[in-house]
Amino acid sequence: MQKISRLKRELHLLSTEPPPGITCWQHDNRMDDLRAQILGSADTPYEKGIFSLEVILPERYPFEPPKIRFLTPIYHPNIDSAGRICLDILKLPPKGAWRPSLNISTVLTSIQLLMAEPNPDDPLMADISLEFKYNKQTFLKNARKWTEKHAVQKDENSGTPSTEGSLAEGISTDPTAMQKRKQGDGSRKMKRPCFRP
Amino acid sequence: MESADSNDKGNADQSEAQRQSQLDRLDREEAFYQFVNNLNEEDYRLMRDNNLLGTPGEITEEELLRRLQRIKEGPPQQNGDENRGAEDPSNGDAIIDWLNSVRQTGNTTRSGQRGNQSWRAVSRTNPNSGDFRFSLEINVNRSNANPNPEHENEPSPEASNAEDIENSQSDTEAPGSDLPSTRQSRPEMPTSEELVAEEVSSFRGQRRARSRSPEQRRTRARTDRSRSPLNPVTETPRRAHHNISSQTFDNSVVGEAEGSSRTRQHVTQSQTLHNEAEGSSRTRQHVTLRQQMTGTEISTPTTIQFSAPEARNSPPATTLETTGSSEPAAPGQRPPTIVLDLQVRRVRPGEYRQRDSIANRTRSRSQTPNNTVTYESERGGLRRTFSRSEQAGVRTYVSTIRIPIRRILNTGFSETTSVAIQTMLRQIMTGFGELNYFLYDSDTGGPGPVPNPTVEAVEPPNGGSSSSSIGEGTEASPGEVYEGGNVGGSASGPRRESRNNRGGSVTFEESGSLPFLSLAQFFLLNEDDDDQPRGLTKEQIDNLSTRLFGENDALKTCSVCITEYTEGNKLRKLPCSHEYHVHCIDRWLSENSTCPICRRAVLASANRESVV
Repeated sequence: MQKISRLKRELHLLSTEPPPGITCWQHDNRMDDLRAQILGSADTPYEKGIFSLEVILPERYPFEPPKIRFLTPIYHPNIDSAGRICLDILKLPPKGAWRPSLNISTVLTSIQLLMAEPNPDDPLMADISLEFKYNKQTFLKNARKWTEKHAVQKDENSGTPSTEGSLAEGISTDPTAMQKRKQGDGSRKMKRPCFRP
Repeated sequence: MESADSNDKGNADQSEAQRQSQLDRLDREEAFYQFVNNLNEEDYRLMRDNNLLGTPGEITEEELLRRLQRIKEGPPQQNGDENRGAEDPSNGDAIIDWLNSVRQTGNTTRSGQRGNQSWRAVSRTNPNSGDFRFSLEINVNRSNANPNPEHENEPSPEASNAEDIENSQSDTEAPGSDLPSTRQSRPEMPTSEELVAEEVSSFRGQRRARSRSPEQRRTRARTDRSRSPLNPVTETPRRAHHNISSQTFDNSVVGEAEGSSRTRQHVTQSQTLHNEAEGSSRTRQHVTLRQQMTGTEISTPTTIQFSAPEARNSPPATTLETTGSSEPAAPGQRPPTIVLDLQVRRVRPGEYRQRDSIANRTRSRSQTPNNTVTYESERGGLRRTFSRSEQAGVRTYVSTIRIPIRRILNTGFSETTSVAIQTMLRQIMTGFGELNYFLYDSDTGGPGPVPNPTVEAVEPPNGGSSSSSIGEGTEASPGEVYEGGNVGGSASGPRRESRNNRGGSVTFEESGSLPFLSLAQFFLLNEDDDDQPRGLTKEQIDNLSTRLFGENDALKTCSVCITEYTEGNKLRKLPCSHEYHVHCIDRWLSENSTCPICRRAVLASANRESVV
């Protein structure tokens, strides 16, 4: 694929003119394994949170979409407890809407947008989706709680009110945080009408 | 301390090497684009259509140039052999990728290599008639020193197991009653490869037979044991066609070892004999087997009937046994070639009707001179040919299936034909799986694998029921060649069992010991994807306009590769006016049918435009 040369250009663009609230960098000096951070937008329950994502570029990129998942736990109707994201542009047509003119930057921006505007009609997490639809306040509360617990960095949250969960784990790229999240989510039932191959 | 240092150093080296390889690749990619840009239209098309362009960055410019020259000199078919392995280090993904693209593109050739086997797959599509032809050729190169248990002259079952890591399922489940004896009876199989070729044909039959009546199998195994514990051939033959394969086996090995044409002729003659027997029995079975459960009873006499020739064959087979054991040392070992050839042909409605009504015609012939055996069977409009030839020491097995179908590509399958084809492909591919199984497990012989409990999960849900009517025909066609049609005639009961068995072999395949292993998986797993709109054919792509990039163009960057156009770049303009590098967009359109920028359907708008 045009993979490497295209990636080089993309990384250059990402470093020179990154979209607001998004950073992306190479992980382990590898070309096809990137890490990204999305800042929770203002006026969303994810505000002040820093969400880490893993961006894996498949061999056939850009003819195949990048594989992106959240490393930081996030309470969101379209993102499951393993961090998988239900988003059409992350899938190939005809089921999805990926196309090679998209790139890492646009995809991350879309994810940022998805965070701000969940799509409860195509839920990955059925119960969160119901909550979002019918009990918005609870949803917002929970999402905020999760954000504080998992996505807010300790040292920079001087103004953050501390509920029980302010033992922030920082940016949980480390495996222990992953484990913790998985355990913590055990009670939540996962329904996956939104299937990601 | 020191070790830590060296570790660090190792890591540094590693990332350095990684960086270096990325840089190399980058260079190659740039060279690729340059190369593609410098190609003239004709050469580009030639290379693309023969799938010689490969992946940017994977191959060097020199290699591309070499391929171009080669393709200009001769047809791609000849190139495959030299090309083999060079084009892409094959793995399951590679061939699956290829298959994915094959379904959309026209003619493609792909080859690869693994271990001592190499494969080459060719697909051809005639966009006008909808004919589709797919052939897969597997070459087994014995001299490549893939350590074979036979070569080690290690008769113990463990030795063979060592070779079958991938087939662990069978190994764990196989220790059935008949297995140990089987293994011991075949410690010196000449080579796995030799068997393999035959097993393409015989194995399925055995599986089915086994699945249909496990009792029978056990009996047979016991009989074999008592009859001639050292005779491997008796394991294999079960019906007429199995005799064929076993004779092939005798024949080739004997011929190989002694060059005795007399023996060869003798064998061929007996083949003919058996064929006749097969034909008759087939007819009979076909008539009776409409009630499903009689299958077992019917096939039992068949077995008996054909076990006679088996017994007759014993003497040469024993010879084989001895020559087989010495064979590893024998010079001039020949790589057998296995060719599977699938043709999907469009048939006029009337033709189809007629064949359908006739339902079953079979003839077989054997040609002694060039030692070619061909079997043809027709049934329900499906035509299946199985031929085997041995020339210059290369044995070739060709199995051809022709399916009447309106249009197999681009427009999508109709429900029934789709199922039929899938069934058939599954059979073929599973055949490969079985083949592969024998590549590694040949000295366990036919009765090696035991029906697998995990099968059900692998089996696609819609496979069984929906294909009943057509599927029967399809099912029958491969079966016919090998089994005399009785299986095809029998209804769902036994067939399901055999399906399950096939699923079982798929399970073996999941362990992925050969590239085409995943083929079966591919076809199984992709069944539900058949509603996907396919990409464009190369003709459709070629119909889109192209131009050379000039200085005063507005949009300067190809959004696929995010590279700015340079003067002289060939651009393709989609009906929606979006432009891309030719090689960038062609690749996307071979699998998709929308514009990468605006997502408008390329074809629909193309039609609209042509109207305007």
